[in-house]
Amino acid sequence: MPDEALLTVAGIGKAFGGLRVVDDVSFTVPRGGRLGLIGPNGAGKTTVFNLISGVYPLDAGTITLDGKAIGTLPPRDRVLAGMARSFQNIRLMPHLSAVENVMLGQQARASGLGALLTPIGWMPRGRWRRDAEALLAEAGLDIDPGDVVSSLPYGIRKKIEVVRALASRPKLLLLDEPAAGLNPAETAELARFLRKIAEGGTALLVVEHDMGFVDEVCDRVVVLNFGKRIYEGSMAGARADALVREAYLGADAA
Amino acid sequence: MSGYWSGILAILAINIIFAYGIFVTATAGQLNLGGAGFMAIGAYGAAMLGEQLGWTPALTVPAATLLTALVGIGIAFPVLRTRGVYMVLATFAFAQVVTGIILTQPALGGAMGLVVTEYVDLPVLLGVAAAVTIGVFWLTATRLGLAMRALHDDELVAVLMGVPARAVQVAGFAIGGGLAGLAGALYAHHFSFVEAQYFSPLLSIYVLLFVLIGGTQTAWGPLVGASFFTIVPELLRIGGSWRYVVFGVMIVAMMMFRPEGMVTRTLLARLMGRRRHADAG
Amino acid sequence: MSAAAGVRGAHPLVVSAGVAVGCVAAIAGLAALPGGATLAQQVVSGLMLGGIYVAVAVAFTLTIGVLNFLNFTIPTMFMLTGMVAWGLARHGLPFTEAWHWALALPPGIVVAILASLVVERFTFRYLKTRHGDATEHAIPLVSSLGFLLIFEHLVLIVLGSDAQSFPVRFRLDWQVGPLVVGLPQLASLLLSLAIVFWLSWLLARTRTGRALRSIAESPDTATLLGVEVTRIVPVVFLLSGLLCGVAGALFVVNYSDVSPFMGDHVGTKAIAAMVLGGLGSIWGAIAGGLLVGLLETLGIHFFGGDAAQVVVWTVLLLAIVLRPQGLFGGSRIGKGKL
Repeated sequence: MPDEALLTVAGIGKAFGGLRVVDDVSFTVPRGGRLGLIGPNGAGKTTVFNLISGVYPLDAGTITLDGKAIGTLPPRDRVLAGMARSFQNIRLMPHLSAVENVMLGQQARASGLGALLTPIGWMPRGRWRRDAEALLAEAGLDIDPGDVVSSLPYGIRKKIEVVRALASRPKLLLLDEPAAGLNPAETAELARFLRKIAEGGTALLVVEHDMGFVDEVCDRVVVLNFGKRIYEGSMAGARADALVREAYLGADAA
Repeated sequence: MSGYWSGILAILAINIIFAYGIFVTATAGQLNLGGAGFMAIGAYGAAMLGEQLGWTPALTVPAATLLTALVGIGIAFPVLRTRGVYMVLATFAFAQVVTGIILTQPALGGAMGLVVTEYVDLPVLLGVAAAVTIGVFWLTATRLGLAMRALHDDELVAVLMGVPARAVQVAGFAIGGGLAGLAGALYAHHFSFVEAQYFSPLLSIYVLLFVLIGGTQTAWGPLVGASFFTIVPELLRIGGSWRYVVFGVMIVAMMMFRPEGMVTRTLLARLMGRRRHADAG
Repeated sequence: MSAAAGVRGAHPLVVSAGVAVGCVAAIAGLAALPGGATLAQQVVSGLMLGGIYVAVAVAFTLTIGVLNFLNFTIPTMFMLTGMVAWGLARHGLPFTEAWHWALALPPGIVVAILASLVVERFTFRYLKTRHGDATEHAIPLVSSLGFLLIFEHLVLIVLGSDAQSFPVRFRLDWQVGPLVVGLPQLASLLLSLAIVFWLSWLLARTRTGRALRSIAESPDTATLLGVEVTRIVPVVFLLSGLLCGVAGALFVVNYSDVSPFMGDHVGTKAIAAMVLGGLGSIWGAIAGGLLVGLLETLGIHFFGGDAAQVVVWTVLLLAIVLRPQGLFGGSRIGKGKL
């Protein structure tokens, strides 16, 4: 059932003051699908992420994840329903180590007092810690997992953010500009890693400015402009679309 | 051992337990400037249970700890509606209310204080302090501790990672309040006397300083902070007011040059070497 | 509802004048009642005491409103003025006679301002927020607690820990019907209010005031708009030192009680006043200061000191939790209606 919808976003809207930042946006991410969310600066992409993950309440519309209406749930319940996200500006916990940040991402899988009160940071390597270290290694991060993240370079922290989101074993991974600030080699490696994740069955929803990266990672794109959806389809189709060209390059180029 | 040093060791043990009480709350990102209020509840709770019900310290101390933990849960819900400066002020006001109530209740001895008959000896204090220290190290290594430290660093992201923020913060107040109450109960039984004036705003300020200056990043912080500020002034043997002036200068200098406290994770990493550090809680 | 909106829309000066006239009328009415004179006398004393709290509460609210900083050295500035003035009036400097009490007051105020600037130099000048986490916001607060210890105990060392009496030798009382109004007290209430009015004019109308308000909104934006934050921040400390100094001077002239701990009592009452008025709101601090002064005198009159403490702090705790914006206004930290 490859085409069954995992995430359905239907007619969502959000206004700040009088400004409609997201206006009647709808799209679906199929199970195991890879959707790119693109558009010029200020198009409302990050706001869509914040609405899906529950940072802001919805003004209008519904969100369904895996058959469950999550549009009004608190953020934590949405995580438990099977989604995880990264952030545009790195928001790792600066005082925690790399592996602790990843173990924080496992939170949604750990329930009950037993899981809360078992030491996960100490010598006897519990399964949580082994799991987190394995995930870091899988992402090709050649670091000491015990390094405090504020001492690590940008590219590595950016990647740890993705790994932290993956640690909850989500059905849907929301990535907010994962390639921003990375050099070409790092970007290519990240794209390979994300394709491998997608092959493992995790659906991706990616906001990104680097079109080459989107082309490589995603199989479909949704284009936003001024909070409205102006295109949905293939990347090649988006490149040829008059409205999309106008949104990116201005009216003259169209 | 001379009476002088055993007195200092007793204060040290109580300060360490008390400091861990404030630390656990601070680890979860909450500043509690009402420590003296929690400690007073533990001290008077133990004193009253011993006097009224004739319980021995083996019962009064755990009961007073539990009582203060419950008060911590009760006060957490209103206090957690506030943040930052408001939370500092709310906890401060809470302690003022507690000492004010003690002063106005003749049954609690009012301004005269209460005599506590049952005596708890120094080794018990040291044993409990050691147990609390180990317990807090354990806590910081658990997933609960990880969730607390995540809330301290970035509450929104912690919630988006699935941390049940409110429950963890209430747990922080419960454990923190309980430990402060434990310190109070031991204080009452060791010094055989409690009076409201001891639990002044200045006591709340001192214990918060122990914790913030020791460092909130690891469980070593309160241990180092409380020990340093209890023992060093004694070793320096500087008298009366100069001791506080030196204390104040150290605080200001600390905040200028090392605002994250004496013990930080990077310091531990350097002390223990990279590999060991990877395993440190 | 519409009446409330009308009051909110009116200029604060107009509102204050209205409240003042109302107060005088109420006190007069109370005094005219049989047996009401004692109570009216308490109300008068409470308002006079409240005038002192107003100045200190405004110092607190100003630092919180502009810098989001709960400055625990503010009561110390109040105390420094009193103790320095007492020291000069009692002993003089080395090689000088004891000073006349009136001459001893200005140096006391100057010392308070200087001490406040020293605090700025060693707290805010060095503050660099790196991660913006919960305990990082407490750094200036912790430094100010350090300075509290330093100043209080330096004064103890130099001038001793005993409570002293400031040698002011005149009493001018004004008999109004059955009421006795101390003229110096009345003058200090007016002076203290005048300074606060001047301050709010300064914030509303001058370049410095605009700069301060822009920092209160957002230090980053203020920097972008060309406000030199490092040069403007000391102004906050200068003003709060001045307010505390004046309050300290007025306090010793009126009540003559001087001790190294005199700031603690006034400081906690001023914090209470600030919370009741809403953090960051100057007009709220005025109302809160007068209210706390009134509550304190009446509370002691009816219930006794310790019970009054319980009442004041319980009200305060409830106010913080239920109405963090204060009893009167809707302003908040950093978005202050300064």
